[in-house]
Amino acid sequence: MSNTVALHEADVHGVHEVHHEHHHHETFISKYVFSQDHKMIARQFLITGMIWAIIGGFFSVLFRLQLGYPNSTFPWLEDILGHWAKGGKINPEFYYALVTMHGTILVFFVLTAGLSGTFANFLIPLQIGARDMASPMLNMLSYWFFFLASVIMFSSLFVQTGPASGGWTIYPPLSALGDASTGSKIGMDLWLVSMAMFIVSSLLGGLNYISTILNMRTKGMSMTRMPLTIWALFFTAVLGVLSFPVLLSGAILLLFDRNLGTSFFLSDIVVNGKILPNEGGSAILFQHLFWFLGHPEVYIILLPAMGMSSEILSVNSRKPIFGYMAMVGSLFAIAILAFLVWAHHMFVTGLNPFLGAFFVLLTLLIAVPSAIKVFNWLTTLWRANIRFTPAMLFAIGFVSLFISGGLTGIFLGNSALDIHLHDTYFVVAHFHIVMGVASFFGMFAGVYHWFPKMFGRFLNNTLAYIHFWVTIVGAYLIFWPMHYEGLAGMPRRYYDYSLWESFKMFGGLNEFISFVAMIVFATQLLFVFNFFYSIFKGRKVTSLNPWGANTLEWTTPLRPGHGNWPGEIPEVHRGAYDYGKDGREFIPQTEPVGENESHH
Amino acid sequence: MSTAAVQQGTKWWSGGRSPFNASYGKVMMWYFLMSDAFTFGAFLISYGTIRFSVNNWADPNHVFNSFPFAGHMNLPLAFVSLMTFILIASSVTMVLAVHEGHNMNRKGVEKYMILTIIGGLAFLSCQAWEWTHLLTGEHIALLSDGTLSVLPTTVKANPWGTALPHEAIAAALQTTPHDQLASIAATLQHGGEVHNVAAMSNADLIKFIESSDIHASNTGPIAFGGYFFGITGFHGFHVFSGVVINIVMLTKTRLGHFDERGHYEMIEKAGLYWHFVDLVWVFVFLCFYLI
Amino acid sequence: MAAHYSSPEITFHPEHTGTTKRIWRTFWVLSVLTILELAIGLLIYNIHKGENPNHTLVLGFKGMVCILTLAKAYYIVSVFMHLGDEVRNLIMTIVVPLCLFIWFIAAFLWDGNSWKTLRNRYNGTTPIEKVVPAAKEKGAKD
Repeated sequence: MSNTVALHEADVHGVHEVHHEHHHHETFISKYVFSQDHKMIARQFLITGMIWAIIGGFFSVLFRLQLGYPNSTFPWLEDILGHWAKGGKINPEFYYALVTMHGTILVFFVLTAGLSGTFANFLIPLQIGARDMASPMLNMLSYWFFFLASVIMFSSLFVQTGPASGGWTIYPPLSALGDASTGSKIGMDLWLVSMAMFIVSSLLGGLNYISTILNMRTKGMSMTRMPLTIWALFFTAVLGVLSFPVLLSGAILLLFDRNLGTSFFLSDIVVNGKILPNEGGSAILFQHLFWFLGHPEVYIILLPAMGMSSEILSVNSRKPIFGYMAMVGSLFAIAILAFLVWAHHMFVTGLNPFLGAFFVLLTLLIAVPSAIKVFNWLTTLWRANIRFTPAMLFAIGFVSLFISGGLTGIFLGNSALDIHLHDTYFVVAHFHIVMGVASFFGMFAGVYHWFPKMFGRFLNNTLAYIHFWVTIVGAYLIFWPMHYEGLAGMPRRYYDYSLWESFKMFGGLNEFISFVAMIVFATQLLFVFNFFYSIFKGRKVTSLNPWGANTLEWTTPLRPGHGNWPGEIPEVHRGAYDYGKDGREFIPQTEPVGENESHH
Repeated sequence: MSTAAVQQGTKWWSGGRSPFNASYGKVMMWYFLMSDAFTFGAFLISYGTIRFSVNNWADPNHVFNSFPFAGHMNLPLAFVSLMTFILIASSVTMVLAVHEGHNMNRKGVEKYMILTIIGGLAFLSCQAWEWTHLLTGEHIALLSDGTLSVLPTTVKANPWGTALPHEAIAAALQTTPHDQLASIAATLQHGGEVHNVAAMSNADLIKFIESSDIHASNTGPIAFGGYFFGITGFHGFHVFSGVVINIVMLTKTRLGHFDERGHYEMIEKAGLYWHFVDLVWVFVFLCFYLI
Repeated sequence: MAAHYSSPEITFHPEHTGTTKRIWRTFWVLSVLTILELAIGLLIYNIHKGENPNHTLVLGFKGMVCILTLAKAYYIVSVFMHLGDEVRNLIMTIVVPLCLFIWFIAAFLWDGNSWKTLRNRYNGTTPIEKVVPAAKEKGAKD
């Protein structure tokens, strides 16, 4: 019943001996750069995602500086931003560029590629018992398309007219007309091309994840024995494969509108009292296309966090996850509903109110599977013998944030209330808590939990606890007050609220939010330090299964080579959640069902 | 089928095998096509949405009524039916190639792959002709400044609005400037005596134009050209890439790669893509030409 | 590559050695369906040419063309792409997600129609100066 398993030298190095056919002349390039090993690709995704997270997070600090201290100047800003911050004050065009890039980077590059790219790559083959992805080659291409998208997006930060600045939702006509703003020039084209590359990457990845999960499961790993992480990553991939192409269509049409003079999204546009020749298109059509992706995208971000939190909550509660089939069913329900509710982002576009009513109904239905998940998480924790590892804390934090952010979604899903709340800080608070911070917590939980498997070392616990407590308290301090600002009508995306008599009273609050945001950002740097420090200097993992978990990844050697298991792939005999059964703390999936074993 | 007996009692989902009895490559190809169906679906649905949102749209029977070498004969739907049959025929040859592949008959695969490639190239040629015809074709339309002008069908111009009554044409001619009148007259003198239109006076031009039975219409929504060229272009791009894939497959067949491998599954996967292209055309045909 | 799999993915090899009769039959079915579509297309054309075209009739015919198209799609996918011969699991995972198209199409077209209503109701109520780039169009052609 001990968590530690006696280690033999062969367990650590076994892979290299048995699987010599897999590493024909591993050079630096083939091992670290153009690697086809899913575990290396996962690390590439994670580290690229972290770099993006630092950039995107830093952008938010910059614009929070403007929002919190609208009347102050910071001469060092001019040093780093040049003409974008003349006299130490960010200029309005650049403010919008910062907000746009913050959204784009965090939604797509960090929480889509960085989150599901990392954990789908890392966990799918390990947890279903496969040697690698179905197509390691396409998997590698998936990363390199992401890298290409990253390079293009990054280069757009340095063009003369600045990066895209029409918001991460790039609504036309602002994004369709080069003359509309400085950010609508070359920066916008680069944004669209980068996004097209990103979509190719996510498609290659998603197809791989789906066919691997379906086709490559080891003997005995039936669908209903899969860990919930795999279920969540499966639905995430399905969502991506079916919804990203719609954004691709929208992006292609928008590129045509920008560069070939077509009228897909343009009609009756008046600039300086003159009508543009474009006729027949509709700007709202773009919003439909965008949100047909955009809403599933929210769940592409959220589902992996849900899956990983479910797994981590169960492992560290030493209890089976409550209602496994209900968890799978609710993931499925959320995945279906994700495709049916996109227009709830568009209630105030002049959407037909009768049509809107259908969208309200479908939107509010999401509360049902979400509530099932929340109650199952809580009942998993109920009377459990909880181990408060950093991963567990972040998983619990995820549940807390999902509840807080989810409840305000019910407000916003009502078309009548949305007329008042639309485009206010209430929305900002809602989606940052429920999909931004919550998904980050899922990601942190995943990193803390699987770091030993990824790098063979532990992260530093003290730094981890500081990271957790500052982040959870800070996240609530930042976003909770925004609900009140939003209810009072304070609109989002404004450059300077001190110019409005009605919002002047929030000056102090905005300053407070900005102050906390900086502290939280600094704490994330602490995590980044902990991450890189621990890769090289962290405490070494000495047992194969440090958390005492049931899933297959802990049956591999400490540092599994390409191919994962040195010998045969283990066969699976039971589900992933046999914790605390028949007086045993945990029963790995590979253990055959005993004759006198009780049924849960 | 004999397969039914094997399916009985097989635990498809229990792991260690594909629940679909298919290789991952085929499964991936199917899901890729599903994803691509959403790309095309989004294009066609956008087109439909825009069509629903305007009062008039170009009537396909007027826009697509010509045939190569048939001059100005009114042949609605004729050319596009030819294109459709070409694509269906190439689909049949493709499925026959797949069939020969199952029988491990290399010569048969080669023969049908060549036929499929020819079909694909024929379709692309037809599309090139149709695009050229639309982009260079000239139709007399009433501009919103009240003058008549010859317009091609492009992404920036759509001469296919509602038809103009004769009185309106006569009135508009009076306000049309000389160079526009001359270009209208130039389009009308097909086959007949050649006038030096540039040298004629406005009054003579108007008289000449009115003497021939001209049809003119209002301009239609400009979005029409964008959607037509955008969607048929995207489909044409798929046909083109399908032809390239088929050529690669033909080469690999000739080199004996599939005989070495022991199966012709690559031909099957290329076939799936090719049929998908045909499938998309069925819907493009419906949305742009029939309704 | 073979070393990657613990067991083969394919459990049995389906028999595809039947004759090509089925393929050719499908070819004729598709041809007949296309000819029917063209016939209806020409019928719609002739209805449109007449005085006061009956819009309900046209709509009915267009609906018929849509159904014929779906029938064609069924034959292509089921016979040419061999989906009909695959195991039921695969068929279901392909067909079920495609049901998303129902709401996708319905909601989009519904909103498109509603923009038309709004446009027709409010067009012309905002005075704007009309400047049309007619000359630019001609220039582009030259």
